[in-house]
Amino acid sequence: MKTVTAANRIAQAPRTRSAWKRRVVRNRYMYLMILPGLIYFLVFKYLPMWGLIISFQDYVPFQGILHSPWVGFKQFNRLFTDPDFWGIFRNTLSLFLLNIVFYTPVPIVLAIMLNEVAHPFFKRIVQTIVYIPHFLSWVIVVSISFVMLTLDGGIVNEMLRYFGFGEINFLLDSAYSRPLYILQTIWREAGWGTIVYLAAIASIDPGLYEAARMDGAGRFRQIWHITFPAIRSVVIVLLILRIGSVMDHSFEHVFLLINSMNRQVMDIFDTYVFTAGVQQGQYSYTTAVGFFKSFIGLALVMLSNWLARRFGEEGVY
Amino acid sequence: MVKDKTAGSRLFDIFNYLLLLLVALVVFLPIMHVVMSSFATVEEMARKPFILIPETFTLVAYRYVLSTGAVFKALGVSAGITIVGTAVSMFTTSLMAYGLTRRDLDGRKVINFLIVFTMLFSGGLIPTFLVVKELGLINSYWALIIPNAVSAFNLVIMRSFFMNLPDGIEESARIDGCSDFGTLFRIVLPLSMAVIATISLFYAVYFWNSYQSAILYINDAEKWPLQVLLRQIVLVASGISADTANDFVQPPEQTVKMAVIVIATVPILLVYPFLQKYFAKGALVGSVKG
Amino acid sequence: MVSTNRLVKWTSTASAIVLAASALAGCGSKETGGASGSGTSPNPSDNAPLKITMMADLHTPEVPSDEVLKALEEKTNAKFTVQWVPDGNYDEKFQAALATGSLPQVAWLKNAASVALVRSAIESGQFWEVGPYLKDYKNLSKLNGNTLNNTKINGKIYSLYQERDLARSGVIYRKDWADKLGIAEPKTTDDLYTMLKKFKEADLGGGGNTIGLADRNDLVYGSFKALSSWFGTPNNWGVENGKLVPDFMTKGYLDTMKFLKKLYSEGLINKDFPVTSKADQQNLMYTGKAGVYIGNMPDVKTMQEKTVKNVPGAQFDVTNTINGPDGKPGLWSLPGYGSLMLFPKSSVKTEADLKKLLAVFDKFFDPEVADLLKYGIEGKHYTKKDGKVVPDSDVKKLEKEATPYLGMALADTTNITPSFYTLPVMEKANTLVKAAEKFAIADPAAPLASKTAIEKGNRLQDIIKDGTYQFILGKIDEKGFQDVIKKWQDQGGAQIISEYNAEYAKGK
Repeated sequence: MKTVTAANRIAQAPRTRSAWKRRVVRNRYMYLMILPGLIYFLVFKYLPMWGLIISFQDYVPFQGILHSPWVGFKQFNRLFTDPDFWGIFRNTLSLFLLNIVFYTPVPIVLAIMLNEVAHPFFKRIVQTIVYIPHFLSWVIVVSISFVMLTLDGGIVNEMLRYFGFGEINFLLDSAYSRPLYILQTIWREAGWGTIVYLAAIASIDPGLYEAARMDGAGRFRQIWHITFPAIRSVVIVLLILRIGSVMDHSFEHVFLLINSMNRQVMDIFDTYVFTAGVQQGQYSYTTAVGFFKSFIGLALVMLSNWLARRFGEEGVY
Repeated sequence: MVKDKTAGSRLFDIFNYLLLLLVALVVFLPIMHVVMSSFATVEEMARKPFILIPETFTLVAYRYVLSTGAVFKALGVSAGITIVGTAVSMFTTSLMAYGLTRRDLDGRKVINFLIVFTMLFSGGLIPTFLVVKELGLINSYWALIIPNAVSAFNLVIMRSFFMNLPDGIEESARIDGCSDFGTLFRIVLPLSMAVIATISLFYAVYFWNSYQSAILYINDAEKWPLQVLLRQIVLVASGISADTANDFVQPPEQTVKMAVIVIATVPILLVYPFLQKYFAKGALVGSVKG
Repeated sequence: MVSTNRLVKWTSTASAIVLAASALAGCGSKETGGASGSGTSPNPSDNAPLKITMMADLHTPEVPSDEVLKALEEKTNAKFTVQWVPDGNYDEKFQAALATGSLPQVAWLKNAASVALVRSAIESGQFWEVGPYLKDYKNLSKLNGNTLNNTKINGKIYSLYQERDLARSGVIYRKDWADKLGIAEPKTTDDLYTMLKKFKEADLGGGGNTIGLADRNDLVYGSFKALSSWFGTPNNWGVENGKLVPDFMTKGYLDTMKFLKKLYSEGLINKDFPVTSKADQQNLMYTGKAGVYIGNMPDVKTMQEKTVKNVPGAQFDVTNTINGPDGKPGLWSLPGYGSLMLFPKSSVKTEADLKKLLAVFDKFFDPEVADLLKYGIEGKHYTKKDGKVVPDSDVKKLEKEATPYLGMALADTTNITPSFYTLPVMEKANTLVKAAEKFAIADPAAPLASKTAIEKGNRLQDIIKDGTYQFILGKIDEKGFQDVIKKWQDQGGAQIISEYNAEYAKGK
């Protein structure tokens, strides 16, 4: 067990000041390794965080933070009393859940499937093809979907009509908006998402499969008992990070999909804050909404990390 | 795995191959459309919603994009920041990720939390701009690299991979008299080529695609990376600016947009095949045992 | 801000030292060479060219060569340092520069919509008020009073404006189809309906898929707003009984919606128009599938050229003179300006500096400077024929050397030599644009401000936009649209109406 040695070391070291000093001295090179990255985070991430306080102000650019008037929780109040607040909250959560349920498993399954391919050539070709869409912008993905699904001569509806199914208004019927969003997300990101899992699979000892086959394990059992456990910790780390981004969807993607017929189901915090804050130059309000989103994300990360640790996983911190 | 072929295993393979083939096809057709449209004539693109093989091949769109003299200069800039940026980022990230694997390191949990925290909370664009400005990085290529040198996401993944390495490696390295640095560079990194390849790819793609830093921090158009220039061509091509009162520039054709996508993507795609060998199953285990 | 800066400086110095000591050594700072900075110091001799730093919007793929700029500098006795910003990210860059105090001496504000971004900074006195100085300059004193009025913020003029035509919307239709079916140029909205219906019935596009009107996902620059003015709707705000009323509460707006609803239910308009992009909309025209387009009339040139390649024999005509219910034509108009030129106090230090700058920009309206910025250099970028300008046929060359400078021109209609068009319909479109100035409908609220509108305006606008589309597509009826208006009023619209009316009463 990998924790044993470390645990022993901790147990052996009595918790006294001198023991602490000795530990720090012994780990001095580790601290040195951490230092450049730590400085990066402090300078480029933590130093600018004073910018968050403008969410408690009526910030006027140029006057700066010190001279802008303080307004307490006014910006947050405005958010929570907005008649659209709960609708947006519900939509944001719905898209998030759809993402977790329908998107998350796809790259994992795809990576495992690719791993089961014996022909290196076939494997490489498929692997390369599926990761290309990541490089197409949302604008392109959405416009290709439009061209295919439009009632004005789109291939899909032409086919439906040809086979006598009648036409389906994919673009203007709000019932199709979310499925379309998820399908586009899967199409663009799933292949790219396999890369981390493939890297995790690459470090599995082939001897394990050999042994399993000796025991007469079929392909599914090999996957279940060898491949999956080996990538479990990576899956969990990625899942926690994904849960942290509960309130962040790809703004560009949703913004391109939203229209007057589906706003009821597609309006999320990112699109809301764009029209209500960014476009109108309302820095304080924009920051306050961001603050709120981050807060929810943090709470969920802490919760899921705690759960992961309870189940014996390392978690993300 | 090739050796034993039970009926179940063969059935599994058939399904697996067919399914992957289907996936590849679904992904491939739209990509094909994008690539082929860039070689089609404007008229054909207007007429046909989906082009898989253009009736007449033409390089007009590419000629249009490449006649923008700044493209080659911008390509150099992008290649430069991608290479230097990835090197700087990998160096910093792998050092930090390894440093944080030591379990008895005091403050480790706090630092880990601080890192995750930055993924959720950010001070925003303007305070970051001020920091970059105060450091004197405005209009310098470093402004495209240093403010984004470490990605918390990549760091967390890398650390998690390092922690998954077989136990005892560190112990035996220590017994062999390796210092912490020696362990990292001589043992841990060579054993982690898959994740090194992955994270390098993530960084390279990030630096290659980044354009917002350039918009904010670079004032001198001579120093624009490729993405800024290409986005500018695409925006002009989609006539987005034409809805305002400033519609005096005649947008170039849709085919140009597709050519831009191809030009922007192909160089970074070329990196992938070189990394692929690190994703082969069991590629690393041999080196562990050897 | 002072002590914040000190904090930042202190920390950054500290971190720079650590950075240098760490593995990142050598990644230190380089000196900034930006176009920002405050080099406004008065020149020792009055004849030396005035140094001007400027941030300008780039609408072409690449930054232009400096030949035109050299000519400009010669004619205006100035030395320009232009910081070009890509059009797609102009507002973002402007905001960052504004908030960090790094705007150059002259900063273009992208368009009327961007005014919201600077309003609070202007109100807190960060920009020079230029209104009182304009009378001292030969050309600036002659700027259009209405347009200047539209640029006002709290009743004061802070900017020089880039001239734009007032009303460019109109109908572009297939002349060859109309001739074949014996349809005359439409004069009323009924004529327009008849044209669409006949186009569809005759199926001249073929395949049974002919669409009458090609429209897109835009209630302003698409068909809706132009159509609405032909139904007698005011431009954003109307005056009824001496009070301002939003356009969607007028009968004209309702009639426009009903008209489009009829088109939609009879299949005379593309079915997915609420989500159709401009490029897809234009494709319907270029490929001969649709016969009528309502939008920017000068687009007819491109449309004619491109359609002929797909449909030989296609011919277009234009009109914007559609009579409303009162028997007179009317057409909504823009505020008459494109970008706005602002002078930040952080980089233009003194009144004397401002006056020197204004003297230079006054020259932007001199005929030769105006032509230079609009067309480039004579003999190189254009020639003259019958006293009109014929641009060089090498579009790419123009794009590299001349066109981008349009982004820093002030003059677009005053003192400009007109263009020569080989295409008669283009000539007609331009004549109609000029003629429309006489029946253009202005927005009476353009110079007014409402606190609620600044805060919630965009969200509230979406409520109306959604309601309008839902009405047209038959999801809600008239009663439903009244509910939408009620929702708009309850969420802040009522306040906007009263705030605008209070300002309006003050201005009268």
